[in-house]
Amino acid sequence: MMNESNPSTDGHGAGFCRRTRREFLWEAGGGFTGLALTGLLTLDKFFTGTASAATGVITNPLAPRPPHLPAKARSVIFLFMYGGPSHVDTFDHKPELYRLDGKTIQVKTFGRGGRRNEGRVVGPKWNFRQYGQCGKHVSDLFPHLATCVDDIAFLHSMVADSPIHGSAMLQMNTGRILSGSPCLGSWVNYGLGSVNENLPGFVVMLDPTGGPISGAKNWASGYMPASYQGTILRSAGDPILDLNPPDGMTESVQRELLDSLNGFNARHHAARADNSNLAARIASYEMAFNMQRHAPEAVDLSRETDATRSLYGLDDSRTAEFGRRCLLARRLVERGVRFIQLYAGGAHNDDNWDAHGDLVKNHNYHAGRTDKPIAGLLKDLKQRGLLDSTLVIWGGEFGRQPTAEYAEGTGRDHNSFGFTMWMAGGGIKGGISVGQTDEIGSAAVADRHHVKDLHATVLHQMGLDPEKLTFFHGGLEQRLVGVEGADPIRQII
Amino acid sequence: MNLFSAARTGAFLLVVSVVPAGMGDVATAAETDPSTVEHFERSVRPLLANHCFECHGAEKQKGGLRLDSPAGIEAGGDTGPILSPGQPADSRIILAVSYEDEDLKMPPKTRLSADQVKILRDWVSAGAAMPASPTGAEPVTRGAGFEINDEDRRHWAFQPLRRPAVPAVKDPSWVRNPIDAFVLNQLEKRGLSPNPPAERRLLLRRAAYNLTGLPPSPEEVEAFTADEAPDAWPRLVDRLLGSPQYGEKWARHWLDLVRYAESNSYERDAAKPNAWRYRDYVIRSLNADKPYDRFVREQLAGDELPDRDNSSLIATGYYRLGIWDDEPADRELAHYDALDDIITTTGQVFLGLTIDCARCHNHKIDPISQADYYRFVAFFRNINHYKNGGPTDEALLFENDQQRQIYEQGMATLNGKRHQTKQELAAIERRFRELHPLEAGDADAVFKAIKEDGGKVLGAKTFARYEELRSELTRLNGEEMAAERALVVTEAGINPPDTFILLRGNPGAHGEAVQPGFPTVLGHPPPADFKAPGNAHSSGRRLALANWIASPSNQLTARVMVNRIWQHHFGRGIVRSPNDFGLQGDRPTHPELLDWLAAEFVASGWSLKAMHRLIMNSNAYLMSSRGRTDGLAADVDNELFWRFNMRRLTGEEIRDSILSVTGTLNPKMHGPSVYVEIPKAVMATQSVPGKGWGESSPEEQARRSIYIHVKRSLLVPILESFDLAETDRTTPVRFASVQPTQALGMINSEFLTRQAASMADRLRREHPDDLTRQVGRGLALVTSRPPTATEVEESLELIRKLTRQEQLPADRALDHFCLVLLNLNEFFYLD
Repeated sequence: MMNESNPSTDGHGAGFCRRTRREFLWEAGGGFTGLALTGLLTLDKFFTGTASAATGVITNPLAPRPPHLPAKARSVIFLFMYGGPSHVDTFDHKPELYRLDGKTIQVKTFGRGGRRNEGRVVGPKWNFRQYGQCGKHVSDLFPHLATCVDDIAFLHSMVADSPIHGSAMLQMNTGRILSGSPCLGSWVNYGLGSVNENLPGFVVMLDPTGGPISGAKNWASGYMPASYQGTILRSAGDPILDLNPPDGMTESVQRELLDSLNGFNARHHAARADNSNLAARIASYEMAFNMQRHAPEAVDLSRETDATRSLYGLDDSRTAEFGRRCLLARRLVERGVRFIQLYAGGAHNDDNWDAHGDLVKNHNYHAGRTDKPIAGLLKDLKQRGLLDSTLVIWGGEFGRQPTAEYAEGTGRDHNSFGFTMWMAGGGIKGGISVGQTDEIGSAAVADRHHVKDLHATVLHQMGLDPEKLTFFHGGLEQRLVGVEGADPIRQII
Repeated sequence: MNLFSAARTGAFLLVVSVVPAGMGDVATAAETDPSTVEHFERSVRPLLANHCFECHGAEKQKGGLRLDSPAGIEAGGDTGPILSPGQPADSRIILAVSYEDEDLKMPPKTRLSADQVKILRDWVSAGAAMPASPTGAEPVTRGAGFEINDEDRRHWAFQPLRRPAVPAVKDPSWVRNPIDAFVLNQLEKRGLSPNPPAERRLLLRRAAYNLTGLPPSPEEVEAFTADEAPDAWPRLVDRLLGSPQYGEKWARHWLDLVRYAESNSYERDAAKPNAWRYRDYVIRSLNADKPYDRFVREQLAGDELPDRDNSSLIATGYYRLGIWDDEPADRELAHYDALDDIITTTGQVFLGLTIDCARCHNHKIDPISQADYYRFVAFFRNINHYKNGGPTDEALLFENDQQRQIYEQGMATLNGKRHQTKQELAAIERRFRELHPLEAGDADAVFKAIKEDGGKVLGAKTFARYEELRSELTRLNGEEMAAERALVVTEAGINPPDTFILLRGNPGAHGEAVQPGFPTVLGHPPPADFKAPGNAHSSGRRLALANWIASPSNQLTARVMVNRIWQHHFGRGIVRSPNDFGLQGDRPTHPELLDWLAAEFVASGWSLKAMHRLIMNSNAYLMSSRGRTDGLAADVDNELFWRFNMRRLTGEEIRDSILSVTGTLNPKMHGPSVYVEIPKAVMATQSVPGKGWGESSPEEQARRSIYIHVKRSLLVPILESFDLAETDRTTPVRFASVQPTQALGMINSEFLTRQAASMADRLRREHPDDLTRQVGRGLALVTSRPPTATEVEESLELIRKLTRQEQLPADRALDHFCLVLLNLNEFFYLD
């Protein structure tokens, strides 16, 4: 039955709609225990359309569902380098740029400072060395990560539609520069459901300096139900909003209250037995109670060995914070969470990778606090046999220009004409590099890949067909990859 | 080097594809005359095959374009022809591959080499020769083949509105008004009977929530169940319709549709000035039972109406409610995105048409052409682009002429003072420059120079006067006449710019010019002329559109609106897709009923309250929601309305009901929005925690949810969790999800903990020292019925356990009991 209640895969009118609600209830078990398993029914009686915001009809939002295609990956960890790291100072080696340092050249750029036709080159501020069997050039910003290059596929020819944080962030997360669409994590959970009822399926961990600009828009479910939005997980304090009972309420008191509530609700339901929503809502309290019990364990790092903690840099004040979140990400992957997004950097200006002023200071700081944890994460996933099924993505909403933003200094403005992201694990080939920017890194010239291609690749690796994963809204079968569609990046899969 | 000159067979294609880009193509290019078909076959076609077929071939036809056959190449794509033989500069294919156009770069991923581009350019220059007979598959020419056929025109929603005869039924005793006849007629055809009426107390609860969004008090329950007069029910409906809470409840339905929010989204997500007045306008309009046709005209063209007033100006805030990126990557595109937001909302909300699907190409399903889309755009083309405030987005509001005069006189005086001060300053500056010649002449330079040398050059007294005048001017510039302002739409004058069809929706690719006009399939001639009697700076185009929409002869307007009214009474529309009455929308389950209601609606003078009265006084509305074996077996989806649909309360109803039963709800109406406390952990998700979120007093925070500030990037957790409408787009139907995170908030959040304590305080206050009555009262408040003895006993048992086993103080135990009450399914669901 799960097959049939899949999100629409072949257009409007297919999917769930050919089934009667009676069949559905029968197969769902109809009773309390069955519903607890199939979980979270929505929108009671109106089982008629495909998943659709036009009529509000949707079924079993988070029940696990089989993928369209054989899945390579089960989980995604998106390491969001908010603010936009400079590709020419990190992974996109441009020897020519060193030579041009300080020279004013003709080059088309477009950033927050508008469009320009010339600029003063800022040579890369770090040296590159070759690593691994593949001989990948990596800058000295990432000495640890450099040891993992044979597991990584670098995408040097990424392009996005906007060089402005607000809209570019939305595009990286939702595929569109206009606000109001569901996020990549929402699509993955919509397509696959969640295999762990005690944890949310789409988890976001923010930087301690604050959220990214546009805040919740970056993990919202847009026109999809709230079931698919990201849940903020904190590495300190209450991990999830309202997870812990108020002060002074013991578990046994709460149990008494829930038992009493169940008594009332069971009586109310008995006279309305055909309404499965009532049963689902009764079940939701038990699930909440279980989440309370189990989620804290998921975020409890005390049982990790010293070796593991050290691998993630938890023993170093510089890397401990991001390391903790990376380690949490691995624990969530182990517990079946589908989509985990970590923000490296938050708030504004130099609290993230947005190096408009002092490039060296900014990037040393942000690379310094993330390099070892990310390398640790990749190594740990690998040694536990999890890397094959976990797709790790690294990158920001855009890259940075080869030229200086101001008359003086090393600050670089935004660049959406060409930038680097990388992926590892989850069936992605290691030790390869795809695409090229021009010789100064100002724009992608070969194998240009739009953000949508990256999204298509993620869906594909998760076993979802990017062209067929649709949600009917506003008169259209909406897709993450948009009307024009996009193909997975074949070279890396 | 000429590796491939001998290759003239089909195998050639395979060979080229493994050669590094450029080489193979270039090698052969020199060999053939570009004006020949041979050149096409040997150089052009392989190049297209290697670089273009993936997206423009048999598998995919992006942009409606297919390049794997001469016919496809000749046909072009959604944006029209791609070839102008002999004219490479006018050929879009050349433009695309040369990467000269920012918006049209093909192939998108890897640019062709200069030599490859030359092959194509030479071929086009030489006349673009191709084989006469198509050799590839036939192209798909959706773009060119668009036409409206009879079947399209026969679509039910496009038929003129008429009043169907009320059907005969076998059991007329059930027919309380014609609605029942339509419903019963269909039930009888299927051999089903309607459910018996629901219990009176359930009906009261149903009606109270339906019309006010709030629970009835136990006293109201008692009074209504005791009222045995035959007109008790119609009187109840009238009373509820007359209560001001009616407007607060139904306004929210409208606000969902018009993507109401008070901030712009994106990085700054800044507040829109005075957006709340639009919310109040909707509440007041509904409470006054403003005719719907007037309601439509005011929102779409309130500034152009002959009898425009403050209220109709505020109504045009409708246009300004959408998302707005203050630093778009592409301003021109952003401008058309903003227009698209208006087309989407207006088309779907007022007409139930997804006109917006025809922005880049003809509608894929509905008979709406791309030209129809841009004809629709033309109505709005002259609107001043949104700037989040200032004279083009805001209007001054005056209660009367006297107020206006006071304002205008005050402004005149103020401007006079400013002028005078500037003149005096200028005189001193002139003198200074005569005495002290300067190289740079700009104002800043002069100011700096006077600052430095003014005392010496001008003398202490004059210099002092200068300083005095400067600060006076700063003060005057900062001074404003107090005036109320509203967020409104304005136009850029009486002559709108041309509107062009944008090829593929691309603002840089103009197609033919179009004039304002209505969707062709509806068969209405375009408006003959445009007048804006109320506005000398406006084209009158929007008024023409508003008049057309608000006309009884419009096939869609009344149908769409009565369907929405029905939807919010019965839990689903007669058409289940209320924003889409097109070919891919759901068909009405009761088409004749819908038409009859629409005809009644128009005949009633477009009165919403008349429709509420009509619907609520039907037996269909009074039915019980209970399941019945035969009904569930025959019609589990309740297509036929054999029973009433149960529903969960909306997020706003949940929050408002909690405040209501705990006795803390502040019924104050209208005015600027309030800010409720949002947990710090949620605030921390903002890039600047707390930014754009104010503080309101506890009393203000206890107001109904419709008065809470709607900030797009920071939604109130309890509302968001219970499926608030998506703020960025029109939302015709809300989800009603069930999730464990909702349960977490309902048992653990600070808001609930506090509200439970407030409720316990209320119970103790109302029934001091009488636990049994406290418990009974609590149960009655949340269920709108007297509690049973078992329920009271179980409640007391819970409290006993909490005090004895868990050793909690009595007050604390009652707090916890109240928390249970606020979580009851019976509290959350309506029968």
